Amino acid sequence: MHPLLFSVIDNIRTLGWDGAFQLFRNGLVLGSLYALIALGYTMIYGILKLLNFAHGDVYMVGAFLGYGILTRLNGPLNLAIGIVPAIALMFAVAMLGSGVLGVGIERFAYRPLRNAPRIAPLITAIGVSFFLENSVQLLTNGYQYTYDPFELGKKGTEEFGPLYHTVFTVGSGQNATPVTAVQIFVVGAALFLMVALVLLVSRTKFGKSMRATAYDREAASMMGIDTDRVIAITFFIASMLAGAAGVMFGLYLGVTYYFMGFLAGLKAFTAAVIGGIGSIPGAMLGGLIIGLVESFAIGYVGGQWSDIVIFGLFIMFMLFRPRGLLGSRAIQKV
Amino acid sequence: MLKKIGLVAVLAALVSVVVATTAWGSSKPRSLAAATASVKCGKKVTIGLAYPATGGVAFLGNLQLPWAQTAVKRWNGSHKLKIKLVQGDTQLTTNAAANLAVAHSFASNGKMLAVTGPAGSQEIQDSAGIYHGAGIAPVSGSATRIFLTRAKPGKPRETSKGFFYRTVPNDGQQGDAVANWINKGLKKKRIYIIDDEEAYSQGLADQVQADLQKVGINATRNHVAQNLNDFSSLIASIPNNTQLVYIPWQQAAEAQTFAQQLKASGRNAIVMGSDGIDAPGQFEAHGAYVSGFPIDATNPVYKAFTKAHKGQPDAFGIPTYTSVWVNATAINMACKAGHGKTTRTAVRKDLLKVKLSAKQSLLGFPVQFLTKNKGTFQGPGDMGGSADFAIYHITNSGKYVRVK
Repeated sequence: MHPLLFSVIDNIRTLGWDGAFQLFRNGLVLGSLYALIALGYTMIYGILKLLNFAHGDVYMVGAFLGYGILTRLNGPLNLAIGIVPAIALMFAVAMLGSGVLGVGIERFAYRPLRNAPRIAPLITAIGVSFFLENSVQLLTNGYQYTYDPFELGKKGTEEFGPLYHTVFTVGSGQNATPVTAVQIFVVGAALFLMVALVLLVSRTKFGKSMRATAYDREAASMMGIDTDRVIAITFFIASMLAGAAGVMFGLYLGVTYYFMGFLAGLKAFTAAVIGGIGSIPGAMLGGLIIGLVESFAIGYVGGQWSDIVIFGLFIMFMLFRPRGLLGSRAIQKV
Repeated sequence: MLKKIGLVAVLAALVSVVVATTAWGSSKPRSLAAATASVKCGKKVTIGLAYPATGGVAFLGNLQLPWAQTAVKRWNGSHKLKIKLVQGDTQLTTNAAANLAVAHSFASNGKMLAVTGPAGSQEIQDSAGIYHGAGIAPVSGSATRIFLTRAKPGKPRETSKGFFYRTVPNDGQQGDAVANWINKGLKKKRIYIIDDEEAYSQGLADQVQADLQKVGINATRNHVAQNLNDFSSLIASIPNNTQLVYIPWQQAAEAQTFAQQLKASGRNAIVMGSDGIDAPGQFEAHGAYVSGFPIDATNPVYKAFTKAHKGQPDAFGIPTYTSVWVNATAINMACKAGHGKTTRTAVRKDLLKVKLSAKQSLLGFPVQFLTKNKGTFQGPGDMGGSADFAIYHITNSGKYVRVK
C-alpha cells in the first residue's frame, strides 16, 4: 500500500469520530467565509460575465478596515466601547468601505471596458488586484496585523475573551469538541447574509432588475432598466459581502495582511466554479464544499496536501463538469 | 469559457515554470568578465541589498532594510570611502524568478562590488550560480541552511567554497540549541514538529528531529502549507499528550494564531519557534519559546536603533547590519590594497580577512569566517568563534527574556 494511503487510513483511525466532528466544524466555519467571497465572484460573473480577480483583495481591504476601527477603539485589549457595538461598527465600516471600493473599481476600471473584448476586463481585474495588494503593502510595510480575537473584550483573569468562550461541547471527556462563540457567529452571520441576498435577488424589484440585466443587458436596457446603476449596486453588494468576510476572518483567526486576499480569492473562485458560477446557491454550496474539503484534507491527508486537493478538485470540475454542481448549461447559438 | 480560462491558466503556469527554470534559473557558474573587471573606488562604492521588500514575508525584509541603512549611515559617518546601497526585491517565498532577476541585475551592475543577502536559504540555492559567475560572494544575514556551507554525506555543498558567507549561525547550531533546550532545559519527551515545507523550515525540522531522536525523545513530524491561516484542523491531528510543538516557520503572525488556536483547543503543549518567528510584537504567545539570533542588547547602536524605532526591539535585522559592515570592510581593504582600484575577486578574497569585534558586529561575539570545516555542522563561510543561537522565553506580558 502507498505510504500516503497508509497514513490517511491511520489518521482516520487515530482521529476517530471526535476528530471527524472537529474537522467538520472547522470546515463549516471556513466554508462559510469562502461562500461569502464566492457569492461576490458569482454575482459579478452573473451580471457582467467578468471574473473579478480583484475581489479577493476587496476582502483583504475589508479586513484592514475592520482592523482600523479596532485600533481606533483603543485596540482589542482595551476596547473603548462594548464588544457588541465594537463588532457592529467594524462590520458597518468594513462593509460600507468595501462596497464603495467595489463601486469605484467598477466605475474606473471596468465600465470603460464594457464593450471591449472579454479578455480586456479580465486582464484589468488582475491589474486591479496587484494594484490593491501593493498599495496596502506600501501602507502597512508588509506587516501582519492581528485582531487578537482570543483577547478581544477579555475581562480580568479570563483565559479568553468572549469570542472564544465555549458555547457547547460535542462528546465528552478528553476528546470533547468545543464549539466557540466566534464559530457560531461566523456561520450564523454568513448564513444570515446569504439568506438576505437570496431574498433581495428573488423577492425585490431591484433583484428582478439584476436578473434581467444578467439575462440580457441590452434587452433590459431597452425595457427602461438603468443597467449601469444595477451593475454598480451589484458591485456594491458583492464587495460588502467580501468586506464582511474580511472582518469575520479577522475575528476568527486574527491575522490580517496585504497578501491574504490572493489565496482566499482563488479558493473562493474555485468554490464559485464548483458550485456553478453565476448561481447564488451554487456559490454557497461550493464555498462549504471547499471549506470542508480543506479541513478534512489537512486533518486526514496532511497540511501540505490541502491546496493540492482543493485545486485538484477544481481541475476535475473544469475537465468533467465545467458548469459546476448547480450551474446552468450554456447554450451556444449556431 | 471557464474551461478555456482554466486551460489557459494551466498553460501559463507551465510556461512560467519553464521560463523560471531555464532562462533565469541556471545555477551553473558562468564565466563573466565582471569578476576581474577593475572598478575605480573613488569616493563611493556600491553594495547590493537583496531582500524581500514585497511578497508573503515582506515584513522580514522590512526588519532587514532599516538595519542595512543604519550600517550604511554609520559607516559613511566614520569612513572616507562611502557606501551606496542598491536595493533589490527578491520577494522570497512568493516569486523565485524575482530573486533570480535581482541576482542578474546585481551581477550585471559593473559598479557593484559586494552583495548583502539574499535572505532565504532557498534563494541562495537558486542564485548561487549567478553570483559565482559574476565573481560575487553574497553575505547573507539570515540564510541558515547547513548545506550552504557544509557538504551533505555523499553530496557536495550547495555553494562553492569562497562564494558564500553568512553572518548568522546555521541550522545545525540552531537545531542543536533547540534540541538541547527541549531535552535538558525543558525536559520534554513527547514532541510534535510541524515544518512549513520550505527549505529553511524543512532543514531545521530535520535537524531538530534527528537530534531529539538521537537522545531517545519521541519526535513526530507533520507538515503544513506556508499560506495556511486556519490551523484548527491541523491541531485536531496533534496527539493530546503532546508536551511541546516545535514550529520552525517564517510567518510570525500565523505562528501567533497557531499558538492561540492550540490553547483555545484545550491543549497544554508548549509552543517553540525558530528565528523566523523571533519577532516581538508579532509573535507573543505567552509561555512560548523561540530560538533567535544572539544580540548584544547593551550595544549603544542597538539602543539608539530601538529608541529611533519607537522602542520596537528587533533582532532579526541585526545580522544584516553585520553583513553590510563585513562587505564594507572587505571593500575598504581591497580598495586600499589596490590603491583606489579593485575587483570583485579581490573583495571576495578580502572577506576572509575581515575581523569584526563583538562591539562592531552587534552580535555579542567577534565575527571572522571559517576557512575549513569545524565541528559537525560548520563549514567555510560560516562564522567561527563563539557564534551560536540564543533561546528566548516569552513572558505573560509578551516580553522576550533570554534564557540561554
